[in-house]
Amino acid sequence: MTARTEILQRLRAQRREVNVPHPWQSRQRFDDLGQQFAAALTAVYGKVYLAASLEEASGQLGQLLAELGARRVVANDELLLSALDPAARWPDLVWHIVGQTPGDLRAFAAAADVGLSSAAAAIAETGSLLIASGPGRSRLVTLLPPVHVVLLPARLLITDLFTFIAARGGEMPANMTFVSGPSKTADIEQTMSIGVHGPKQLSVILYQE
Amino acid sequence: MNPIALFVTCLVDQALPEVGVATARLLRRAGFQVEFPQAQTCCGQPFFNSGYRTQARELAQHTVALLQPYEAIVLPSGSCTAMIRLEYPHLLADNPRWYYAARRVAAKTYELSEFLAKFAPDFLADHKLETMPLVSSKSPITYHDSCHMNRMLHLRAQPRAALRAAGYEIVEMAESERCCGFGGLFSVKMPEVSNAMTVAKLRLARQTAVTTLITADPGCLQQMRGMVCPGDGLVVKHLAVALEEALSGNAEEQEQ
Amino acid sequence: MTATMREFRDRATIAIEDVRLQTALEAATGRFCTARAAALAKLPWVEAMRDQFKAMRAATLANLAQHLEQFERQATAVGAQVHWARGGAEACAIVTGIAQRRGVTLVTKSKSMATEEIHLNTALAQAGIQPVETDLGEWIIQLAGEAPSHIIAPAIHKTKEQVAALFAQELGQTELPADIPALTAVARQMLRAKFLAAGMGISGGNLAVAETGSVVLVTNEGNGRMVTSAPPVHVAVIGIEKIAPTWDDAALWLSLLARSATGQPMSIYTTVVTGPKRAGDPDGPEEVHVVLLDNGRSQLIGSKYEEILQCIRCGACLNICPVYREAGGHAYGSPYSGPIGAVLSPLLFGLEKYPALPHASSLCGACKEVCPARIDLPRMLLELRADLVAQGLASPVEQFLEQGAALTMRSSRVWQFVTAMGRWGQRPLLQNGRLTLPASLNPVGERQLPHLAAKSFRELWRQGEV
Repeated sequence: MTARTEILQRLRAQRREVNVPHPWQSRQRFDDLGQQFAAALTAVYGKVYLAASLEEASGQLGQLLAELGARRVVANDELLLSALDPAARWPDLVWHIVGQTPGDLRAFAAAADVGLSSAAAAIAETGSLLIASGPGRSRLVTLLPPVHVVLLPARLLITDLFTFIAARGGEMPANMTFVSGPSKTADIEQTMSIGVHGPKQLSVILYQE
Repeated sequence: MNPIALFVTCLVDQALPEVGVATARLLRRAGFQVEFPQAQTCCGQPFFNSGYRTQARELAQHTVALLQPYEAIVLPSGSCTAMIRLEYPHLLADNPRWYYAARRVAAKTYELSEFLAKFAPDFLADHKLETMPLVSSKSPITYHDSCHMNRMLHLRAQPRAALRAAGYEIVEMAESERCCGFGGLFSVKMPEVSNAMTVAKLRLARQTAVTTLITADPGCLQQMRGMVCPGDGLVVKHLAVALEEALSGNAEEQEQ
Repeated sequence: MTATMREFRDRATIAIEDVRLQTALEAATGRFCTARAAALAKLPWVEAMRDQFKAMRAATLANLAQHLEQFERQATAVGAQVHWARGGAEACAIVTGIAQRRGVTLVTKSKSMATEEIHLNTALAQAGIQPVETDLGEWIIQLAGEAPSHIIAPAIHKTKEQVAALFAQELGQTELPADIPALTAVARQMLRAKFLAAGMGISGGNLAVAETGSVVLVTNEGNGRMVTSAPPVHVAVIGIEKIAPTWDDAALWLSLLARSATGQPMSIYTTVVTGPKRAGDPDGPEEVHVVLLDNGRSQLIGSKYEEILQCIRCGACLNICPVYREAGGHAYGSPYSGPIGAVLSPLLFGLEKYPALPHASSLCGACKEVCPARIDLPRMLLELRADLVAQGLASPVEQFLEQGAALTMRSSRVWQFVTAMGRWGQRPLLQNGRLTLPASLNPVGERQLPHLAAKSFRELWRQGEV
């Protein structure tokens, strides 16, 4: 008998009819999703910049890249970012745009100063960004560089995890990560230390359209 | 009211008789007629908790038969009350006759402070007023929530209300609900861990700077008292003793 | 590994006498407890949410075969390969088989209790494959050659000086400063190279979602993302009980998991893996395998212990447990310590190997109070104690004493006679009315032992002195 058959047989023998509880219905309510998102993310050492327009957001991005002293930037190829055309806007920096720039993405990302992306959604309650894999969207871009910068239009804000689940489409991407702050650990003497494996800094530019 | 039964518990009977004496006197002061059913021994909890179900069942039957005739049963122990009230019906579930008898006994079994709160709600405060001259200013104490009394019987407010009514000022310790390390036979089977838990508990009690630590369970009392060094200033008392002292005006005498 | 009464007491005594460990344990568990309480207090409906969660977990277990098959169907449909393992050896063989087929010599692992449980690292090493733990705490104890002492904070017992010495040794240096940010930076650098070089990533799974065939991983450091993104192969080992039928159920699960574990509203990274990289994905593993591990779990379904499978390994019961807080994790002799370990270890690995664990509790009930699924751990400890007696695993001395005492107490006359004998017998042992256990015999100091009072209550009553 295979392991599969044996395990399933044993479980089936104990099967019982039960009432399955209805999905959880209570929801948090926040008057200002942007404010809640910023407060939650800031509380876990994320940085949030607010902008009134995409233009203002791109100005803040330029300033941020300058402050960081970034030289090499790796960016996901997302609609939002291509509209910004960062490589043309900041020609002094070395850019690798996923799927467009030739060369080894993995090696570039491993040595990049900043990873730039957008997000599929953002959860206000917990200050979480939803980063999904897909065409033009590399996992390593948002993971390997020491700084992860996210351009986030305010329309992508949703209330909480339950709201996200209820609104989600049928298919799941191969990899989807809720990112709620920069990488951290408290494994040595329970003392918080930022940036162990993932980015040490997470900066979100939240803008109105 | 008909006489109520005092179930003192085996520990009080043999090792801490003063707790039984205080309980009986307190109940009499509150106007109850108290009887001590002579055939009582142990509620069976030590056997139940160490896995000896047959032995626990025999003692449960013995106790149920003994307590059945009374209108109410009062214990100076949250843990033994929880045993009778919550475990007996399960333990005796196999036999309908015993099961219903256990349910009836369970329904009329009370921990001391719970009984007073329910059947003599004003007694402590009234008595306090009458005997005002005898009792001096409020003495500060701290209270340990014994585990079964707190988590199985949910009796947190009642012992505190009784102590306040009797004139004590309660200085709450941090983690008053943290286990004192007794755990019945746990303290015998794993004495090192048990004693270390008691040390942690007493450290929290000492942080209040109060010198009297009250608990409503004889097991906790004995455990904590055992680890108090003679001369370190902390006195561990049973709730019944503290209440009786306040009402009889003995507290000051003892402290002087 | 085993935990006999002697072993548990000896290991606990070592922990109790280690002042540094005691301070670290007390501080860490205290912090977790406070953070948990604060996080839950922010959800106005948290008690209803826990009830709902428990109901969902119970309903899932009652119909587990169906959910597992659904998971398998969905995961297979998106290109993942699902394997079934009856026991630890079978699971290890599956994982090493995958590695060998791919010619892998180095694997990176994110923290997983399931792989601890089956001793996967030993199996990999025996097959010539080097496993590197990448959760900082797990890596520390891997370097030290120890077992985790806490479900979510495995190196809770290590000081920064000890960590510095371990890292220095690994780097081949004589000394490293005991500075936590600097040590974290060293780990980042050393493990980054491993992540990029590894031929395979191994993870556990906090839960699996049947609806979409997804495995969910929760980490704070980002190593969970690394092992599922950087190497060409990802293998997840997950217990068969950790299934959420739908995403609604998963959302409920995730709402309670991080809050109960560390007091975070959400862990830093919650990663959802649904099959290998798709056409058009710029990166990601070409192969994703999910190993569904039974290892004794299916035997518990339908038994009086089924409820224990509702556990989501948050560690809240460890942090609140007064026994764990003194004895530490290693006393339990199992990857699972604290109240959950005291119940789970005997059930999964054999009561005869872990006879002390059902007794490693004062039955205070704090664990049940904080468990997100309200698992009645004290009730199960009591059942296990009864099983010990029923299976003849209690010591003959204990059986004799318990049975003798019960016999005595069935009659108040016999009881009075025996206690009167005791009163007489204890006289030579008493000094000034006290029975003292000297500090030399007790690791935490002198203690007064209980003894019989000069007169019992019943004597006082009969003599009219009450």
